[in-house]
Amino acid sequence: MPRWFRLLLVGLAAAVVLSPLTRPPRSDTYPLSTYPMFASDRGALHDIATVVEVKADGSTVRLSPELIAGTDEVILAAVTVTRAVAGGQAEELCAEVASRLGEGRRARVQTERHDVVELVAEGAPPRSIDVHAECARA
Amino acid sequence: MRDRSRFAILRALIAGYAAVWTAVRAPALLDPLDYAARRLDPVGPLAFLDAPVADVFLVGAVIATPIAAALLALGCHERWSGPAAAIGFLFVTTYRNSWGQLFHTENLVALHLAVLALASFSPPTDDEDGRRWAVEAMAVLTVGTYFLAGVAKWRISGTAWLDGDVLRHQIAFDNARKEILGDTSSPFAGWLLRHGWLLGPAAVASVLVELAAPLALLRGRVAAVWCGLALLFHWAVLAFMAILFPYHLLGIGLAPLLPVERLGTTVAGWTGRFREASPTSTLPG
Repeated sequence: MPRWFRLLLVGLAAAVVLSPLTRPPRSDTYPLSTYPMFASDRGALHDIATVVEVKADGSTVRLSPELIAGTDEVILAAVTVTRAVAGGQAEELCAEVASRLGEGRRARVQTERHDVVELVAEGAPPRSIDVHAECARA
Repeated sequence: MRDRSRFAILRALIAGYAAVWTAVRAPALLDPLDYAARRLDPVGPLAFLDAPVADVFLVGAVIATPIAAALLALGCHERWSGPAAAIGFLFVTTYRNSWGQLFHTENLVALHLAVLALASFSPPTDDEDGRRWAVEAMAVLTVGTYFLAGVAKWRISGTAWLDGDVLRHQIAFDNARKEILGDTSSPFAGWLLRHGWLLGPAAVASVLVELAAPLALLRGRVAAVWCGLALLFHWAVLAFMAILFPYHLLGIGLAPLLPVERLGTTVAGWTGRFREASPTSTLPG
């Protein structure tokens, strides 16, 4: 293979992998990513939507991504709950989770406000909890 | 001969990884069968989709991809197993990314498989030039992805990324989300956040490793040192964020930068020594 042709092919690979530089940095896609995932400052205060199980005594238990969204991917579960809350579909999501939980168990869709640094470093409780839906299996 | 054997070992490592990954992750790749259609948010090469693909099509792709990748790893029928593995892997991973969340762990695998697919049409030769372009192209793709990740930090946060606050918030947010959504978080993250002075140097080091990636194209010791630092970076991400980049952690993503053909020589040497030591090798006839 002529040297110039080899260099052309390698140059093409470089052009392809660096092509995301022509897009805005947060304009992500697959497989040619701009890799923005760890680049921005998220701050410490976050509203994180989730689904918990409510016990008979009123206490709550964390559920797995599998029970929340039918996936073992936590990020996908987070996006599923956030979108359901934002799209006014918290009741539907609650019913889906309750059906996965089974007979006699209650689910609650809620948004928790946390200082995430305090939570991870010291186990601090949420600053507030906003309940969107609560249900049992129909 | 050197680059041809390097190519063959890279093909075995990369396609072998793709075969194992798609087989092990098959249940997750099939999860979309149960998703509500409203959740579809197609990306990349599947951006044209306006409805989920037929179930039989997804199931067929999830079954066929590891088979094609395994055949490619073995160098069997590579004129069709190469393109089939590359297209299959790109499809199943793009489809998995088309439900609201982009993952960044398989991008490099998909790009390396694309090069292997193209190289399968390039006739193997015994001289050094045979498929050397493919090895060099995969090396460029590897350093390109790291370089882009470093540039993204500069483009989005500028020098603010270097004081450690952005990293502190990223580590805290990622672990908090895991705790709140019932996943396993890092047992070391709390300790790191309580020793915040470590985060500034860690942020500087990670950006330096990413931006210095093109130096690895110089090969030799420079490449070996950079690959070692990149591996350390991924182990730190695993330890403090519980995020697994298996392709990189196993060193396969970095392999195009390294003289992996020596791996074959070493294994052959071990095999030879084993045969010499084996009593059956001394039997006549």
